[in-house]
Amino acid sequence: MSFFAAFVLSVALPGTEDPEQRAWTIQAERVYTGTGRNLEKGLVVVSAGKISAVTPGAGDDGERPRDRLSVYAVTAGFVDIGVRVTNWYSVEQSKEVTPHLRVADTLDPFALDWDRQLRNGVTTVLVSPADRNVIGGLSVALKTAGPESISARTLRADAVLRGSMGSEPSSGNHPAFGRPTDFYSRRPTTRMGVEWEWRNAFFTAAEKRDTKDAGTATLIAALQGKMPIFIQAWTTQDIRTAVFLREEVESRPEFQGMNTPRFVIDAGAEAWKEPQLLARSKTAVVLPPFPASARTRENSLMAWNVAKVLEDAGVPFALSGHGSGDVSDRLAIQAGYAMAGGIGFESALAAVTSTPAMLIGVDARVGTLEVGKDADLVLWSGEPFQPGTRVVATIVDGVLRYEGWNAVRGAEIAR
Amino acid sequence: MHTNVGQAALVLLAGTASAQDATLPARETLLVRAEHVLVSPGRVLDGAQVLVRDGRIVAVGTDLEAPEGARVVEGRWVCAGFIDPWSALGVGGDALSEVNATAATRSIDGFDPFNLDHLRREALRAGVTSARVQLGPQARIGGQGAVVRLVPGLAPEEAIVSDASNLWMTAGLSLPSGQQFVETADGVQMVSGDRAQDPFDRAESVERIVAALQSGKNYLIAQNEHRHELEDWKKKVAEKDAELDKEFKKAKKDREKAQKEATEKDKKFEEKKFKDEKKPQAPRFDEDNEVIARAVDGRLPLFVGVERAAEIRSLLAGTESLGRVRLVIAGGSEAGFQASQLAERRIPVMVWPTPLGRSRPDELEAHDLSLAGRLASHGVTVLLGSGGRDPAATRDLPLLAGLAIAHGLSRDDAIEALTIGAARALDVADRIGTVEAGKDADLLVLDGPPLESTSTVRFTIASGRVVVTPEN
Amino acid sequence: MIHNLLAFAAAALPSVAPLAPAATRLASSDAPLAIRARSVWTGTKVLENAIVVVEDGRIRAVGTEVEIPDGAEVLEHEGVLTAGMIALHGTAGAVGETRDSTRPAMPEARMGIPVDGRSADFAPLWNAGITSLLVTPDSSGITSGTTALVRTADGKVLRDPAHLSLVFSNEGLSSNREPTSRSGALALLNELFKKSSGVVADAKSGKLTCLFEVRERDDVLRAIAFAKDRKLSGALHGAWLSGELSEPIRDSGLFVIVPALGVGTPKRALDAVVRLEKDGVVFGFGLDAPWNHPDLLRLSAALCVRAGLDSQAAWRGLTANAAKISGVEARIGRIERGLEADLVLWSGDPLDLATRAEVVITAGKALTVERPNQNGAKESK
Repeated sequence: MSFFAAFVLSVALPGTEDPEQRAWTIQAERVYTGTGRNLEKGLVVVSAGKISAVTPGAGDDGERPRDRLSVYAVTAGFVDIGVRVTNWYSVEQSKEVTPHLRVADTLDPFALDWDRQLRNGVTTVLVSPADRNVIGGLSVALKTAGPESISARTLRADAVLRGSMGSEPSSGNHPAFGRPTDFYSRRPTTRMGVEWEWRNAFFTAAEKRDTKDAGTATLIAALQGKMPIFIQAWTTQDIRTAVFLREEVESRPEFQGMNTPRFVIDAGAEAWKEPQLLARSKTAVVLPPFPASARTRENSLMAWNVAKVLEDAGVPFALSGHGSGDVSDRLAIQAGYAMAGGIGFESALAAVTSTPAMLIGVDARVGTLEVGKDADLVLWSGEPFQPGTRVVATIVDGVLRYEGWNAVRGAEIAR
Repeated sequence: MHTNVGQAALVLLAGTASAQDATLPARETLLVRAEHVLVSPGRVLDGAQVLVRDGRIVAVGTDLEAPEGARVVEGRWVCAGFIDPWSALGVGGDALSEVNATAATRSIDGFDPFNLDHLRREALRAGVTSARVQLGPQARIGGQGAVVRLVPGLAPEEAIVSDASNLWMTAGLSLPSGQQFVETADGVQMVSGDRAQDPFDRAESVERIVAALQSGKNYLIAQNEHRHELEDWKKKVAEKDAELDKEFKKAKKDREKAQKEATEKDKKFEEKKFKDEKKPQAPRFDEDNEVIARAVDGRLPLFVGVERAAEIRSLLAGTESLGRVRLVIAGGSEAGFQASQLAERRIPVMVWPTPLGRSRPDELEAHDLSLAGRLASHGVTVLLGSGGRDPAATRDLPLLAGLAIAHGLSRDDAIEALTIGAARALDVADRIGTVEAGKDADLLVLDGPPLESTSTVRFTIASGRVVVTPEN
Repeated sequence: MIHNLLAFAAAALPSVAPLAPAATRLASSDAPLAIRARSVWTGTKVLENAIVVVEDGRIRAVGTEVEIPDGAEVLEHEGVLTAGMIALHGTAGAVGETRDSTRPAMPEARMGIPVDGRSADFAPLWNAGITSLLVTPDSSGITSGTTALVRTADGKVLRDPAHLSLVFSNEGLSSNREPTSRSGALALLNELFKKSSGVVADAKSGKLTCLFEVRERDDVLRAIAFAKDRKLSGALHGAWLSGELSEPIRDSGLFVIVPALGVGTPKRALDAVVRLEKDGVVFGFGLDAPWNHPDLLRLSAALCVRAGLDSQAAWRGLTANAAKISGVEARIGRIERGLEADLVLWSGDPLDLATRAEVVITAGKALTVERPNQNGAKESK
């Protein structure tokens, strides 16, 4: 099988095209469903924005209906749960702990960033506020294309409570020697201070239990496990700190009635150093993009085989691209790197589709090619995680939202 | 899998860079018919026609017929295409923040026929067919400007009306610091962070201009002297040559005799060396002074960007002895104080009638829209430009002209400023600016009198090509 | 005294020196004033050779068959007679007083208080035919207070408060003062709207409309969502491209104030304004006086007309609809019997920038606009 097969999307030209067409028949040499069952020469049928059939077969050779797409491979649309908004107005910095504020209120449906995601095959994202706060607020899970409004694209509002360990939340703060000059003269200014803010927030919520205060109510809901808590922790010590904090909450009597949080480590570059700890505490990990050289943010060391180590220890893991514009940060390339580090194709596919969907609770709708799920599909020109393969088209909720620049309609280029 | 060659539609664009854009309308033979043709300010022909061939106006009259194969274009009014003598549309954006230009710098070197073509099309639709562009408009010396046609994709021969239309200098303007053009999703915006000069710097800047002109004048004088000396030397050499020729035979005999004697007497024979007179040395070539000399000599108009009365006064005083300089004041917010002198010395003022309010750069008060009218009423020749900083402003030059009219400029003066007035000041009056035979075919066909709000441009013809029609 | 203004011909003719020496005000008499104009734009229709009768600062009659009352002064006007323009955003008369960044929420700050009726900012406005200006607070924090509608000829405050200003653009955010983020701003707004007294309560109950300061299209969407949620009415100001969201805006019932459009405004922004009209959104124009020259108001409209906006629709945006947006449509903005007399006599088509205002009738007086002097130095005002 040639990995660099140049199959091209071919569509018969109708008289007029409906830009909002939601019914397709996709014919592929390889259908990678993500359920473990894959098809050679299969069909994925989409109708009314949902997947209505996944069957073997080459389809009807006689006619060329206008909704037929032929391609080499098709997978479910990627789910990237590590996307951060990097601009300064996505997080309220007047206080360090703002659990109830929503990043969804700051998103722009007209931003060009969404196009970039579509070009790279990402159909669902979890967007989080910038990690300038210790606890920045509520992240939102939404589709990368759809009607021009954030709420219409939202898959799950208030999906995750977002926070961070490490030094990022303390950057920009300075100690108040003498007179404070602005509201950045405050804690935390160290990693220790950051962890203190977490514990302070949790213990105060446990002590007062004042559900009338929106921030406290959100913390209590998160500690009761109603939504996962994503904590950014690049280095080993931050990962350990996060896990120990969780164990403290689970074991101390003060947290009676709110002691079942679900922690997920985000950007766990050094998770490969503590696989047993993560497995024992049932903590999942979202991996950041592989850096060009082993060192990445906070001087953490990311090994090429981090995914394999986590897999062997039974720790659920997802890959992420952080919404970056770098070509090498694309999720497809990240999956390729993870495979180079030792995991298999199915495992890599799960790490960019079904596992992240499961971690944020949207797996009933997206993440695999199964009948009844949303028709979020990526069409590939070759084997999905190989460097020479392109995204030929991206379909979100059954609508063709992105078509590759060299897609040739109405004609076919032989392999 | 089926092949559908018949239905194939290639999405790939083959970007071949050719000298001429494939989408450029062709040059046609045109007969333009109108109820009124504004030939030049003050001359209107009723029921007239204009015949255009090969990019030129061939004939203007009242009984012309369409030759075979000609395209007929009809309208109510025809006039010459508008010229923006102070535009930023035509050279690349970076060139406009150039501060290190010298007199020898040529704006035409930055010419880009495809730059901002959507803005050019909007300008053509508004009736502006050509523009003077200038590198370094806020530099002390900005080099030589150029007049270009705004049609996107024209080959340089057709696009360039004048490759060196003027020399540009400024006196007393704020120095640009961080002025840049920012392309946003909504278009191009100019972001300015100007720094004003202090009064001593401002006074010095005029002195600098006068000094530069003087040095150019000296260079010119030196060149002229050299020319005369060279002629004299050549004459002397010719005379000597003639003398030599006359005595050649005798000299030959003498020489032969001397040679014979030498060999007989065994003496050394010395050739008579003829002492050559030294050829006069040309003055050292200075590329900047070459250009300034042309300005001093009146062969290249000199545009000076200056706003304040004090600097204008010094400039006028400093250039009084340089009688041949063809000075044009650009900006001239306070030129009203010198209006009579400007009128007497026939120095035009190029006005930027912009509706800006307070806190403009150069620390002047709100811009006075009545400047053009006031100067014109004193007999000063007024030109109207779009400011030379924002490329998108050229499109709105007719609207700015409207503002000037509302505040006192006569409509006829405005039309003259936008057509033959600008052409004359830029020495391109032999090519554009009026609807007369022999000139380039840059014409507007309107549905009403030019510069009236109810009139719209229906057709724009540039270099004999119909670039704007009611359909496109 | 009968003034014959036939000499002030349409702008197509060369300028002529005035027959009478230029005076800033005509003698204000108690007699009614009848103006016969070649064209009268009432705000709903255009009448040719119509007469408008003004008495006691109010419009007594308008039409083509109107009888001129006895003892009335008669003004013959060769040009166009319209209602005075209303500029919907600015700080003239209150420069330096529109921003108080000590707190993010100052809803009770009223622009009607610092406005100085004798400010030199106003004369250029009425001289350009702008008879009223909506003075607006800066976009700082989540609200810097309420707007006020001011009559430019005498500085009289016509409506105060006119709107509660609510900031949805990034201008309200700060890097060193709450709120630093849009989510924080929204949380503060929700907190603010818990109040049960003052201007916030009036806004909630519908007694007071709101001015939503926006910039980008997503700001517009957020403002519409907030307005719908709280059942607020009002106008969106500041987004050049709000026309691209004309359908959701129309469905929300909100109006639009087009920000001042200058020379070189991109075509996309002008097309957006044309779309507002096409999709039935009520809009007016802002000026941001004194930072912009008063003529920029008509320039904004002229740019849109050149891009395809119907000229009467543009004129309504400057007059009748502007009055509606300011909540004073029962008083000014149209030439209709019973409304206050805020009128402008133009030398020609007012959307032609070559036209100038010649006489402005407002505040019970008829004011002559100074002509740009043709003979010698300009007389100072």
